[in-house]
Amino acid sequence: MSSKYHPSSGGTAQTQLVQWINEAGMSEGNKKVNLLRKIIEVLLHQAPQMVPVYMDNILSCVSDKSTDVKRQVVAFIEELSKSYPEYLPKIIGQLQLLVIDTVIAVQKRAIQAASLVYRNVLLWICKGTSEMKDMQYVWEHLSELKLLILNMIDSDNEGIRTHSIKFLEEVVVLQSPHTNDDDDFSLDCLPSNLPFLNRKAMEEESDHIFQLLLKFHNSQHISSVNLMACMTTLCLVAKLRPKYMSSVVKALNDLHTTLPPTLSQSQVNSVRKHLKMQLLILVKHPSSYDMMPQLTQLLVDIGMTPQEINKALPRDRRNKRLGELRASENPAKRFRIDSPQSTLGSDSNSNSRSEFNLFDDDNSQQGSQQSVTKASCTEESILDGLNSLENVVNLVVTTLTNNLPTEMPTSFILAYKPIPNAGSKVQKQNLAKMMVALIKDEPLPIPTTIKSLDTTTKIPLLRDDDDKINLKNAVAKLQESTKVDKQIENAVSKLMEETRQEHLKEEERKNKDKEKPVAPPTPSIPKLKQKVKLLKLQELTRPIPKEIKEKLMIQAVERILRAEKESIIGGAAQIRTKFITIFASSYTPEIRELVLNYILEDPLNRIDLALSWLYEEYAYMQGFNRHPVTLQPKLHEKHDENYNQLLCALITQISERGDPLMEGSKDVLLRKVYSEAPVVTDEAVDYLKHLVSEEKSATVALELLEELCLLRPPRAHKFVAALVCHVLSENEEIRNIALKSSIKIYKNSTDAAKKVIEKHAMLYLGFISLSTPPQELYGNRHTSRPWSDDLYKMCLNLVMALFPEKEDVIIEIARVYGTTGAEAKRCVLRQLEVPVRALAASEPSGHLSPALVALLDACPRGAETLLTRIVHVLTDKFPPSPELVSRVRELYATRVSDVRFLIPVLNGLTKKEILAALPKLIKLNPIVVKEVFNKLLGLQNPNEEQLPVSPEELLVALHLIDPSKADLKYIIKATALCFAEKNTYTQEVLSSVLQRLAEEQQTPVLMMRSVLQALTLHPSLAPLALNILCLLCEREVWNNKVAWEGWVKCAERLGPRAGPALRALPPRARDLLPSHLTALCPVSILVVNIDNRWR
Amino acid sequence: MDGLYIAVVCSSNMNRSMEAHAFLAKKGFKVKSYGTGEKVKLPGASADRPNCYEFGVPYDDIYNDLLEKDKAYYTQNGLLHMLDRNRRIKPCPEKFQVSTERFDVIITCEERVYDQVIEWFGSKRSVYNQPVHVVNVDIQDNHEEATIGAFLISDMVTKMAQSDDLDNDIDELLHEFESKCQRPILNCIMFY
Repeated sequence: MSSKYHPSSGGTAQTQLVQWINEAGMSEGNKKVNLLRKIIEVLLHQAPQMVPVYMDNILSCVSDKSTDVKRQVVAFIEELSKSYPEYLPKIIGQLQLLVIDTVIAVQKRAIQAASLVYRNVLLWICKGTSEMKDMQYVWEHLSELKLLILNMIDSDNEGIRTHSIKFLEEVVVLQSPHTNDDDDFSLDCLPSNLPFLNRKAMEEESDHIFQLLLKFHNSQHISSVNLMACMTTLCLVAKLRPKYMSSVVKALNDLHTTLPPTLSQSQVNSVRKHLKMQLLILVKHPSSYDMMPQLTQLLVDIGMTPQEINKALPRDRRNKRLGELRASENPAKRFRIDSPQSTLGSDSNSNSRSEFNLFDDDNSQQGSQQSVTKASCTEESILDGLNSLENVVNLVVTTLTNNLPTEMPTSFILAYKPIPNAGSKVQKQNLAKMMVALIKDEPLPIPTTIKSLDTTTKIPLLRDDDDKINLKNAVAKLQESTKVDKQIENAVSKLMEETRQEHLKEEERKNKDKEKPVAPPTPSIPKLKQKVKLLKLQELTRPIPKEIKEKLMIQAVERILRAEKESIIGGAAQIRTKFITIFASSYTPEIRELVLNYILEDPLNRIDLALSWLYEEYAYMQGFNRHPVTLQPKLHEKHDENYNQLLCALITQISERGDPLMEGSKDVLLRKVYSEAPVVTDEAVDYLKHLVSEEKSATVALELLEELCLLRPPRAHKFVAALVCHVLSENEEIRNIALKSSIKIYKNSTDAAKKVIEKHAMLYLGFISLSTPPQELYGNRHTSRPWSDDLYKMCLNLVMALFPEKEDVIIEIARVYGTTGAEAKRCVLRQLEVPVRALAASEPSGHLSPALVALLDACPRGAETLLTRIVHVLTDKFPPSPELVSRVRELYATRVSDVRFLIPVLNGLTKKEILAALPKLIKLNPIVVKEVFNKLLGLQNPNEEQLPVSPEELLVALHLIDPSKADLKYIIKATALCFAEKNTYTQEVLSSVLQRLAEEQQTPVLMMRSVLQALTLHPSLAPLALNILCLLCEREVWNNKVAWEGWVKCAERLGPRAGPALRALPPRARDLLPSHLTALCPVSILVVNIDNRWR
Repeated sequence: MDGLYIAVVCSSNMNRSMEAHAFLAKKGFKVKSYGTGEKVKLPGASADRPNCYEFGVPYDDIYNDLLEKDKAYYTQNGLLHMLDRNRRIKPCPEKFQVSTERFDVIITCEERVYDQVIEWFGSKRSVYNQPVHVVNVDIQDNHEEATIGAFLISDMVTKMAQSDDLDNDIDELLHEFESKCQRPILNCIMFY
């Protein structure tokens, strides 16, 4: 920086400086701070040659009132120590003053500067450019400063503690030899020729300070921020000075198992997180390589998975680590991950240090050896321990040295037998079993407390006092030591001795603990109490083993369950119910089972309990209730299923328990469960479906299904499927109930449910177009069977039942009908008849329903016969409506060429149309023809007035049919039908018919035949017949062979009355007459004839 | 020297940190904002194709880029509005890991960011031994939550500023704050 200096600017800078310094002397507060900042800036960077001149002006501000001014001075000292260490002798004293300033903010800033100054001083000494006297002076002051700050680690102000931790970190790092190749400053850089610097003493001092930091780190009443600061510091030290690594890892391990009790939940979270972060940083550092097993174990304990750890590790160490981790994975370990890590457990496990001490030593010695807590020790974990030779030896040796009585007890002599299979696997297992029994089932040992009193009371309570005493001692010793230079070494070594002693004592204490592993840390009032301490439950108690907890829990629930009567008498029945439901829904599966069995013992009376439990589960499932965090996470995940499981368990148990007492009430119970449960799950519905197939419960199940559909409309569409499928049941009774229920639901339920029913109806309808019956129709049988009418009927029953409710299905029926075979068609026609008839009856006005209109509009291919049938049925009882007629007419014209199609609506057609169709109609099957005529003649509904064709016209039309269009014999048959209807075709009618026929220009072929028939029926028609005969004579009837034959027959029938007709015959014709007729001819005529002949 | 120097850090220095930055700046605090992510990530047309930018690309450029890409869409999802707000506060998103400033308090908006900040401190040695409080308040990365988060942060910073000796009071202060805001708080102390 000084290179920037130029004489010219230096001059201006100097005047500027003088001006500022003067101003600063006059001003106060912020203004002074700003001036000071400018002065320092310019002085250091623009006019460094003036530093000695104006330095004192700035340093004199040390006693300024303003905090910020003083902090500015600290900054100046800091900067000076770095850039101009030659002035250190002048500033070190000022710094010392600032460190013990009354204002905390200044103190902190001074401590912060002190660590930088400390480093700079050492660097400066190393350079060795200054006089020995100066160096020694600075060093002495610095040592005093160091002790001052060392003392501050016990300050009441947390901030000062934080800063002093950081300072001590710096000291430890600076005063210890470095091991790796980084070029940072370390103890090794110090020159060895300085009398006031003793490298060994400095190293020991740093060791000691490190121990202080460790103790501070693990002390009970550290604030979370300082704990984390200390953690960071320790980790940094471990990174830079690997010799401390193992101690640091152990300290972190201790911290993990015993967090200070004063921390709040979120602080615990922060600390744990910080621990994890620091460990990860540590793991990544190359110097941590040797401690890898411990570190990874610790990470596992914290709750990281091996995968996560592996990911965090440097690449070159990964695979190996994973392998080791896998190998060390065992149940005991997993348990440890769970237990101290559970979020709420932090407080409860924070004070269990005395317990953990049990194995702590082993743990530190054997590295990766799993530490075992009493709560977590299992047979396996102990067996594992027994497999380690070292462990066994340690165990035996400790027992021998500590627990062996001087004389052999007599009981031992009596009971002792040599162990035959010592060292074998079986023996080890047995031993492990015995040890577990010893550790877990120990009776609460009140008598032993007296023995262990002195140790147990000291451990948790005196420890932190010890810490403080240690700290104070150390500080005091150090202070003393500085006073007498030469004694430093002695003092330090003495100090070391003391700590070592203390360490030994602690070891001993731990050993004693070990001797009495069964002794619980019994609560007692500490004798050496210095402060009033709150009695903390966690400190006095230890966690109950999980198994016992669960056992106790179950017993408690059992007692509550047993207290049914008592609770009712005491008026606590409701509370009891609430309790039981909470227990059952929130705790372990064992309790669930217990309560379930209790309910099923007497379901009739306990059904309400079951229901309230169901509701509780429902509340959890829906998230209205939350499980308390204390519960196992496993249970949390499953609670969606719990409801379903419970519901299913209840219904299956109720219906399947072969309890004869319950038999009668089964239906009631099932109904109650189903109707009162908050939600009926799919599985429960499936079960109901299954129940239908059971002989005994079918009816109830069907009824329940129906009820469910009707009473729970929002989910009806789910339930209804289970019901509808039974319309295919083989059992007719079930089928009928299902059908009836389905229709009932269809009428009353939601659209969604309706859709389901319709879908099923369509599906089943579709079956009939298959070549073989589908699986659904086999029922329980596995063999297929051919279609039968019954099967067709089964498939059709739902859709037919649906038809009155939803006429649209007719279109679908018609579509399927078109694709099916003849057998199926027949069935459909038969099945459809009743509903269609009902439909027709429901609308007597003859109005067509929209569905039918649609069907008529778009008749599917192949369904014409169906259509005909429907139209037929529609017109069976009522005359066809004009609308129907017009549609049929249209269809007949466009698509259906079969004349039969017209029959139902015949009477709606016009005369012309009927007459046009007549030739085709009479060609049909005689029965049909008869029907046609019945219709045309209005024989079926005699009240019918308006016939489009009168009987007379009909008969005339028949005679006029062109023989080329219809064979004569059909016409004859048709006329015969007419003649048979004597009521219609009376004499009058016939006579008018005959008259009209006679009037025809062309004599109809059958006229004479009809005349003859009319004559037979009504002999009184003879005059008419004679008239006709005469008329025919005029038309030269003899030329027409058929008519002539008829004429002759008629004349024969008339006999003598035919005279006039015969007479009208010309002689040529008369010759053709048969002889007996000729005889009837009057003579005159004959004469005439003869005359003619002869002429 | 007086007054706290505060950094608000989120992942992309876009939404949460900027919302808080704006809020704190309005209240007169000395504040800067940063992101710790690899890149500045903004939601894109689909979830798997976010818009990524380097730190240092001005908000203005990002604004124009998005404007060009799909004005209607980014107006509708509020990104343009946010960028417009951001460019009025400072020129471009800044990456925390490259900043040389020394703060008194660093506030992170999610745990991952907190981790990254701690990791960054862990990766280098302290030079000045100046302590800094790192505090994490979980804020979801959406507009509404960012606004709520900014209020919370402002509350917290106000309390911190009122303290005469923050280092001494921080534990208690955060504890109180935590119970008030009902969100888990993480905190620790680091050194520059």
